[in-house]
Amino acid sequence: MTVDAGSPAIRTRGLGKRFARLWALQECSLDVPRGRVTALVGPNGAGKTTLLRMLVGLAAPSAGEAWVLGRKPAQSPEFLASIGYLAQDVPLYRRLTADDHLRLGAHLNRTWDDTGARDRLHRLGIPLDRSVAKLSGGQRAQVGLGLVLAKRPQILLLDEPVAALDPLARREFLATLTEAVADGDLSVVLSSHLLHDLERVCDHVVLLAAGRAQLCEEIDAVLRSHRMLVGPKRPLAGLEPSITVIKSTATSTQLRLIARVEGPVLDPTWEMSEVGLEDVILAYMGQDAPPMSGLHVVEGVAS
Amino acid sequence: MNQLIWRLHRGQAYFATGALIVFVAILLVTGVVMADDYHRFLATCAETQSCSDGQGQLFSGDGAIFDVVNLTIVVPLLFGLFWGAPLVAKEIEDGTHNLAWTQGITRKRWLGVNVAWCLGAAFVWGAVISLFVLWWRGPENALGSRFDAFDQQGIAPIAYALFAVALGIAVGSFFKRVLPAIATTLGAFVLVRASIGLFLRPHYRTPLVRDAALSGPNSSPPAGSWLISQGLVGPHGQFLGHSFSPNDVPVVCRAGASLDKEGLVGCLTSHGFTSAFTFQPANRFWEFQVIESGLFLVLTAGLIALAYWRVLGRDA
Repeated sequence: MTVDAGSPAIRTRGLGKRFARLWALQECSLDVPRGRVTALVGPNGAGKTTLLRMLVGLAAPSAGEAWVLGRKPAQSPEFLASIGYLAQDVPLYRRLTADDHLRLGAHLNRTWDDTGARDRLHRLGIPLDRSVAKLSGGQRAQVGLGLVLAKRPQILLLDEPVAALDPLARREFLATLTEAVADGDLSVVLSSHLLHDLERVCDHVVLLAAGRAQLCEEIDAVLRSHRMLVGPKRPLAGLEPSITVIKSTATSTQLRLIARVEGPVLDPTWEMSEVGLEDVILAYMGQDAPPMSGLHVVEGVAS
Repeated sequence: MNQLIWRLHRGQAYFATGALIVFVAILLVTGVVMADDYHRFLATCAETQSCSDGQGQLFSGDGAIFDVVNLTIVVPLLFGLFWGAPLVAKEIEDGTHNLAWTQGITRKRWLGVNVAWCLGAAFVWGAVISLFVLWWRGPENALGSRFDAFDQQGIAPIAYALFAVALGIAVGSFFKRVLPAIATTLGAFVLVRASIGLFLRPHYRTPLVRDAALSGPNSSPPAGSWLISQGLVGPHGQFLGHSFSPNDVPVVCRAGASLDKEGLVGCLTSHGFTSAFTFQPANRFWEFQVIESGLFLVLTAGLIALAYWRVLGRDA
């Protein structure tokens, strides 16, 4: 359970954001290690966008604190240079061309990988001289990604980047991203309400639901520690301490659990099987138990 | 940053430049003709003793162009609506602030450069238009009063233009959409301009009061002055104003049904009634322009400060 290898890519403590009287995000405490591709998942309205906006300094927290690469999000050139943020729906200046955008980026940033960005867009066959309003959704997303990558940020925060894309464009987008991650020491956080999109490229997962962080772990560790247990019906209160129930479904005779299992399960009446990430996530989203604070908040870098 | 602004607004810049060139060209042509007419009139009016009737004799067929010039009163407002209000609101509406405010420059600098360009453009366009109108109205100013076009000429319109843009930027920074920002800017601008023009401007300095006859050559206010009010003064010097009660008027004159307006005036005059003007004299024009400009520049500074506070603190 070590935290420090430098500072984590993202650390939040009790982070919360309130809009008028509603908390969009509450008591969010996370540590996302560096150099990982993290999936930020959760149902719509779980606070994913709010969290990302606070992390890049576009919104100020109502409670708690956040650090990105050891810095508090701020409107300072140093902080802004270290982050790459692609907002939902890939906002671009509609009347400008991709070329215009690249030139702007070159003017607005101290570090700028112009040739890299142009090469990438060229390889994808995206016309640089046409106004971005005339590009397809997939092409626009690639232009947006090209712009944030050209900044050469240390951390990339992408808000639902593939949600609106068709499967092919989605695959191309994620391929570009994977390639960029392989190139350098880059931490990435991708949000999505569909885990399925991200499972292939991510090695870490943060789950937000009901305005809180329910899970922040390596995907492998999640898969190792979660099991489906099927057995005769019994009261949930009397389970062994190694089983933490995430979600239970009961029929008249049978009890089916998705649970975190830490340590041996001694009761032989349980039939245990592995469970896919998507099922685990869905179980957390649908859980009625209180959020699992504390226990999974601080996650080790070493695995 | 400058490049960003140019790329985003070049269309607008071309349009505004085109419109300015057309306007200036119209003023130049018509202005030269009018100045010429005016000088010819001055040279000949002494013979016919009609110099005081210049406004009646000159420019009577030029209504359209006068309307155009008088309409320049809305030019500052246009800057506020189309340059100021969208500055922040359009970025938010399109979501492009997400892009602009996460680049390597700070939000403060982004706003600073944008505000500077916007104010700069308003200053240049405002100055060219109002100074050309000042020149164009030369003959008219000489024959009538410069105060008649206080809002269109001199330096005050430049201050209005800066104010309008600052108002638009500040208002726009509180909205998420361009249209309500434009509507609010429109309302606020008209409200501020009208209240200052109607309620403050007449009192920048204490108006002068002058007695005058009720009719005849001594019955008009001093040339070039701004007439603020005019009223009836009774035989004992009591000021009755222009909405006096019939009881203030001698019974003979009240027998009124038989008297037309001229008869009434003659009757009052013979009973010692006079009139009084409250007015701002012509030579206060520039002083008033400076005071009003100063007032609007202070408002401009306040609004820019408000915009900074809002944009830097805004949850975008």
